[in-house]
Amino acid sequence: MAIGLQAEPSLGVPGKKRWAMVIDLRRCIGCMACVCADKAEYDVPLGVWRTIVKVKDTGAYPNTRRHFMPRLCNHCDNPPCVRNCPTEATYKHEDGFVLQRYERCIACRTCVAACPYNARHVLPTNRSNVKIGGVVDKCTFCNHRVEKGLVPACVQTCLGRSRIFGDLNDPASEIARLVGRHKTVVLKPEKGTAPQVYYIKPDRSITEQIFAAPESYAARSDADAFFNHNRGSRFFGGVL
Amino acid sequence: MFEYMQFNISPWGWELAVYFFLVGMASMSFAMVAAPNVIGGAMSVFEPLQRSTSMLVLVLLAICSVLLIMDLGQPSRFLYPLIYFHASSPLSWGSLFFVLFGICVVGFLSAQIMGKSSLLKPLGLAGTVLAVLLPLYTGWDLMAQQARELWHSPAIPLLFVVLSISSAAALVSLLAMVQGKQNENLTTLIRNILICSLLVTLILFVAEWLRISYGTAEEMQALALINSELSTRFWVITLIVGILAPLGMLLMGPSTPIMVTGAAVLSAVGAYTFRDVIIVAGQLPMSFY
Repeated sequence: MAIGLQAEPSLGVPGKKRWAMVIDLRRCIGCMACVCADKAEYDVPLGVWRTIVKVKDTGAYPNTRRHFMPRLCNHCDNPPCVRNCPTEATYKHEDGFVLQRYERCIACRTCVAACPYNARHVLPTNRSNVKIGGVVDKCTFCNHRVEKGLVPACVQTCLGRSRIFGDLNDPASEIARLVGRHKTVVLKPEKGTAPQVYYIKPDRSITEQIFAAPESYAARSDADAFFNHNRGSRFFGGVL
Repeated sequence: MFEYMQFNISPWGWELAVYFFLVGMASMSFAMVAAPNVIGGAMSVFEPLQRSTSMLVLVLLAICSVLLIMDLGQPSRFLYPLIYFHASSPLSWGSLFFVLFGICVVGFLSAQIMGKSSLLKPLGLAGTVLAVLLPLYTGWDLMAQQARELWHSPAIPLLFVVLSISSAAALVSLLAMVQGKQNENLTTLIRNILICSLLVTLILFVAEWLRISYGTAEEMQALALINSELSTRFWVITLIVGILAPLGMLLMGPSTPIMVTGAAVLSAVGAYTFRDVIIVAGQLPMSFY
């Protein structure tokens, strides 16, 4: 049973919409156009992302493979971030979007702690163009575009049509056909969040990845630079 | 190229560990000194400490308020959890308990100063209930996070209440020593409270350790962190200094005020590091997900 939500889970409920995304990893080429589109759509500042594409190399030469894993908010049907938010700044829309009210957010980061997918971030306060800062932000499935009949910016720009968006409750939609006909995977289904981003053919090494020190020199350098940039801390203390 | 595209900063840092420690210490200290009015009997030995402890509790609550507010990204909105109360959020309940508890302590202290003894029992009782709820909510705040497997255990709220009792015993004992109000009955009572709380802490320590030792991949990652970069804090400061040493002092040493106060202070140190380790180790396994 879902508690603390402003709208009940709508997956499979007749007469209700359930917006969802399929990411067909057979088609992802790691071009990062989705990341750029998202940055452009929302003026997302440096250092934080609404969507990312994780990259992982597996195997040893000559038997190697590079895996791409686009990640974003899963707009869960039972989102833990929503029920844990003390001010209802983050809320569930009846069509399935999990959205954020900036004017209510106190940036206590409970939602960041609650999210199993690391899909949330805190916007820096010193932004030049946009005045919204010091609050938690996340992917919105571009609900402002969807309400006007468009698809999200990342879907619009995806070169290989790897990202497909639509109403999963509509049996005639492309996304319902894909989820119905293909073997799909969601991230961390055991958490009971009912995530609504479905992956076709992901690699186990990148869906199951938890804490692991980066192996390559480049990845270690990236990690060091990231944490040093955030005042040498792996925690938010002193960053805000 | 690269193995990872993004690194995540853990949401909660030392501010939260200190807050959990101080608010637990403050609330349980009040419960102890309000006990003469609420329970009576043997608890009456706390009566001479009521006024000074209540004042100190208010100081601790003030420090907690500053810590909580400054930790927010939007400090000016600190009243929003009450204004936009969300019943499924532990933080909303915590804000409510915090404010109500503060009111009870102020009321209790005022009733004492003004000599209105008839108000002491109802205010003490209400304050005691809230004093239990405050550390309970701090544990609930972690337990509710199903995404963090180390935290997602029903033992965490109970553990935080018990740790708060130990640290409160330290505060009350120290205060009695500073004010020269220690006597045999008070020392014996604090000793017995401490022995009980430390034994329960030890049981929960072992239980939690066993749980994560037989746990999921994420819990085992947390255990790996506990056994590496957090090993001193967990095994040395929490277990040896914070649990076993004070238990040994209380069970085998003489029951003198200095010995009991020393054991209480050590248990308070352990009560802080135990929370600190749980908060840190609960978050880091997700940093690279």
